[in-house]
Amino acid sequence: MSNMPRVVITGLGVVSPLGSTLDEFWHKLTSGTSAIGKITHFDAEKFPVKVAAEVKDFDPVNYMKMKRADRTGRCSQFAIAATRMAADHARLDMSVEEPERIGVVVGTSGMPELLAEQANIIERKGPNRVDPLVVSKYRASMVPAHVGLEVGAKGINTSINSACNSGNDSLGNAYNLLRLGYADLILAGGAGANITPLAIAATGRIGALSREEDPDKACRPFDLNRSGFVYGEGAAMLVLETLEHAQNRRSEILAEITGAGWSFDAVSETSPGMAERARAMSLALRDAGISPGDVDYINAHGTGTKLNDVSETRAIKSVFGTGAYSLPVSSIKSMIGHLGCAAGSVEAVAVVMSILNSTIPPTINYQTPDPECDLDYVPNVSRRQSLDVCLSNSFGLGGQNCSLIFRRFKQNGT
Amino acid sequence: MPDPVEEKLKQIALRVTRKQEADFSGDTTFEDLEADSMDRVQILVSLEEEFDIEIPDEEVAEINDMKTFVDYVKTKIARKEGSAGE
Repeated sequence: MSNMPRVVITGLGVVSPLGSTLDEFWHKLTSGTSAIGKITHFDAEKFPVKVAAEVKDFDPVNYMKMKRADRTGRCSQFAIAATRMAADHARLDMSVEEPERIGVVVGTSGMPELLAEQANIIERKGPNRVDPLVVSKYRASMVPAHVGLEVGAKGINTSINSACNSGNDSLGNAYNLLRLGYADLILAGGAGANITPLAIAATGRIGALSREEDPDKACRPFDLNRSGFVYGEGAAMLVLETLEHAQNRRSEILAEITGAGWSFDAVSETSPGMAERARAMSLALRDAGISPGDVDYINAHGTGTKLNDVSETRAIKSVFGTGAYSLPVSSIKSMIGHLGCAAGSVEAVAVVMSILNSTIPPTINYQTPDPECDLDYVPNVSRRQSLDVCLSNSFGLGGQNCSLIFRRFKQNGT
Repeated sequence: MPDPVEEKLKQIALRVTRKQEADFSGDTTFEDLEADSMDRVQILVSLEEEFDIEIPDEEVAEINDMKTFVDYVKTKIARKEGSAGE
């Protein structure tokens, strides 16, 4: 695929439980700060799950007009805010761009919880009293639509949903759309705002969420005493563009995406498939034209569930062999929780920052090694290390897997 | 004393369109308020909720100024109260 355009990253925007600026996010991430606390978005007294990583002090009107804020759900608002920051970071000037060549791809499930409220209104008051804005607020497709409306991007505009894999899936698809010439620049990422009674109750009911009430112990990826994942919320959007387009507009190039690999477990709705996760990683390496020994760091899916962390560890060992033991692997979910459809894209921002700053964010709350999870998880403290090639994993509940390869940008490629 | 129906319409219309108090009078039109179709339907639903009336879209499709709209809503309220007394 060497005749395809190279795809580079020129802007990063993030709304996260650790903060809604890139600097704050990165500083807190590398200082091992946890954003997990008691749920305040609703009264969780009767819920078995008490903690989450909430975005605090987010005011949508800092990023969009009041009418747009009125017409959007929190999920779209996060996406718009992250897009604004990413576009500013990339110095994207739409007045000189060809809008038909600029796309938007967002991994998201929208806000299906809003439908439950409206179903209740139909039941009580009749169909005419349904909120006229609900279509605009709940639909996954409206998240990229609102982003496109705000920015004025007229190229491909789509939402992608493959559960917790969506963030990587959207970046991987945007990468391919650019390589295939469907756009010159794509605003790509993920957004999720699922700290809601319905999402917490439903995901909690299938045993995926930690019931630990102490926020400092709730999310412990790869630790022997891990007890499930913790919901987070937020969005990350990245400016991806072809190298030629980036150079023509003299963008500062932050990093490059050089590989993507997808697979599906076809095993079970909830149990992860080790072999297919390994295949996603191998396919990403092959797409990037590199061997396992070239990888310097893995940003893990690392949810903190019993099943995920063992499966991911085994998958890494099956791809990287004995080299896996000297390969740093960390999970930022230990600090920001699991952002669902936004997870992979927030992790992509972390990976690009890791490459730029030669620093690996840690896996915090790591106290007791699990004999079945025996890799170097960068426990508790960030690590200075020069990084050229990083792999990032995202796996969806249902069995969708996507691994991405990020590289330090070098003009002459490899 | 301000007309209560007009006051309520003003309150709802300004909330939905994010306009200022000075932007609203009896002569004000939906165009003046820069209200698009989504704004109009939000205003209708809010009025239906407030006065417990039904406003079929087709009956108000041609109404553009606030005074006519207030009169229409008053007629609806009167009709509802009349039918309640039967």
